[in-house]
Amino acid sequence: MMPNRDFITGLIVSAFFALTLFVLIPVYVKVPSFIPGFAPPPNMWPRVIAVTGLFMGLVALILSIPAMRQQSSDHITGLGAYLHRHRVMIVRFAILSVGFIAFVYALPVLGFLVSSTLLLGFLFLMTGNYSNRVWVLVLTALFPFLLYTIFAQIAHTRFPAGKLFSAAGLTSLF
Amino acid sequence: MWTDLLYAFDAVATLPNFLAMAAGIWAGVIIGAIPGMTGTMAVTLALPFTFYMPPVTSILLLVALYKGSTYGGSISAILIKTPGTASAACTVLDGYPLAQQGKGGKALNMALVSSCIGDFISNISLFFLALPLALFALRVGPPEYFMLMAFSLTIVASISGKSLLLGIVSGCLGLLLATVGEDMYGSFRFAVSEDMKNGLGVVPVLIGLFALPELIRLVVFRPEDTSIAMKLGDNRLTLSEFRHSLKSILRGSVIGVILGAIPGIGPSTAAFFSYSEARRTSKTPEKFGEGELEGIAAAESANNGCCGATMIPLLALGIPGDVITGVMLGAFMIHGMTPGPMLFQNNLGDVYALFIGILFSSVFLFFAGKMTAGAFSKISRIPQHLLLPCILILCVFGIYSIGSSSFDVAVLLVMGVVGFGMMLLNIPAAPFLIAFIIGPMFEDNMRRSLAISRGDLGVFFQSWISWGFFLLTVLFVALTIRREWQKWRTKSRTTA
Repeated sequence: MMPNRDFITGLIVSAFFALTLFVLIPVYVKVPSFIPGFAPPPNMWPRVIAVTGLFMGLVALILSIPAMRQQSSDHITGLGAYLHRHRVMIVRFAILSVGFIAFVYALPVLGFLVSSTLLLGFLFLMTGNYSNRVWVLVLTALFPFLLYTIFAQIAHTRFPAGKLFSAAGLTSLF
Repeated sequence: MWTDLLYAFDAVATLPNFLAMAAGIWAGVIIGAIPGMTGTMAVTLALPFTFYMPPVTSILLLVALYKGSTYGGSISAILIKTPGTASAACTVLDGYPLAQQGKGGKALNMALVSSCIGDFISNISLFFLALPLALFALRVGPPEYFMLMAFSLTIVASISGKSLLLGIVSGCLGLLLATVGEDMYGSFRFAVSEDMKNGLGVVPVLIGLFALPELIRLVVFRPEDTSIAMKLGDNRLTLSEFRHSLKSILRGSVIGVILGAIPGIGPSTAAFFSYSEARRTSKTPEKFGEGELEGIAAAESANNGCCGATMIPLLALGIPGDVITGVMLGAFMIHGMTPGPMLFQNNLGDVYALFIGILFSSVFLFFAGKMTAGAFSKISRIPQHLLLPCILILCVFGIYSIGSSSFDVAVLLVMGVVGFGMMLLNIPAAPFLIAFIIGPMFEDNMRRSLAISRGDLGVFFQSWISWGFFLLTVLFVALTIRREWQKWRTKSRTTA
């Protein structure tokens, strides 16, 4: 049977809540040895949510099976073929995710202004539409600078200047 | 009393007071429309300026900022699917679909009109019902809060879209995420890193969940029409559309007043509550979430209906209901006034002047909203491939400025990816958000009630308020089960 979207949703949801219930809660929710009065322990509420979520995920999984059987009789395709057909989109998503991670790690090194300028340029590139090149260049160069000035002057936000610029003694620029 | 009122009117009708209100409303609308900049931030930033102003002028400035920012949040919610404030999250559900249909101006006008009416009713209630509402608010303890929150969580059924099952899954995800960080007794939950010990902020989560998936979709799927901007289209709000939504506006305003008077609940819950009621009583509930003006009217009247009402416990009892009224309490004290019952004895003239000034601010809100809506609606003309990356950068700056934390920026980006995943899996985002907002209040009040009663569940049924909300919850759940059952039967018959 070729898994349909409802089946995948049910599977992911069930797996996530099972992981939460059996791994994350025991490891990351510490129950104190003494709880004052009759207050419920801190893991009670996350457990209730995880059990409810797991139940709902399993129901979604079961309910998707009849539709999936019908779909499989109509189309004969494998999971590999499905992924191969969407490989370009998967690669774009992966590149975008790497870009986001790089931005977060670049913040303390390159500073807020440079990192956000690079992120904006990267996003314009990733949209794949280069019909307004002049606007793209102008916005990439000026928009983060404008926001930087507004937030720093009006909201008095202290943005990180970046270790690279601090080391070079260029923090006064920011 | 009438002589006092006349003196108060005379005291308010001065140029400095009007200027303060106009400036406050304008600045509030603009700040509220910027994602990540909140009313709390606006009021806090303005506090130092009030040191040199007369007491009434300074409080009017802060109230105007609060009201303006509450309305301003709806502008970005409607036009760029990015709620400027948490209370505007509900407005996204119908506002953005309307903007996509080329009715952004109409949606903005409905948001403005319903905000002004909600605000005006709230001000009137502040004038006449301050004391009884404050006494009602005092009767609401942890068990009553718990029952109210339980009823509010049933809203998930109304905003689940096509699948109730996936709506509940989404709600569970929101509730689970809300448990991250320190709980009420000091235990840490899911605190994988040091930053997570403080929990996840509402604003990064909500902006990440709503605004970013659109950008990621644009990058991943690259639809061909990205260079085409949304049409501005029909911008006028007709009288029949207004009449059609009037019932929801009035009901939303009353919900806003009652929930606003109870400390700690806030405009977000009121907006979702009112939206749910409007959908439940509508003849065409299936249109909600697809671009229904009544949905915007219900949400906006309720969140602005809270604005005046949050002043009720502050003025009548001296209890600040949220952070903004907490800052206002500070402003009162700076000027030598102590809110509470004694305020009405010692500073009656100032209190009346404040009431009248707050009434005037609704009018300022209408004009400021009209002018800014026209200017902001031009955003729709910008092509998506230029607009969406700029929105992300704006959100990144706004989020960082709230807490000066790179972790919040990371939360924003991660929630964007999560939101995109949910979009692909057909899991609706709105139940996630309402559960994330209400979850901590629900759990805290449940645990607090059980601690007070030493584990006795009977504590939840000791007052008529608890019973009232319990019966409403049971009724709503029963109606939802009936509706789903009927839907399933109809589907089975059609298939057979």
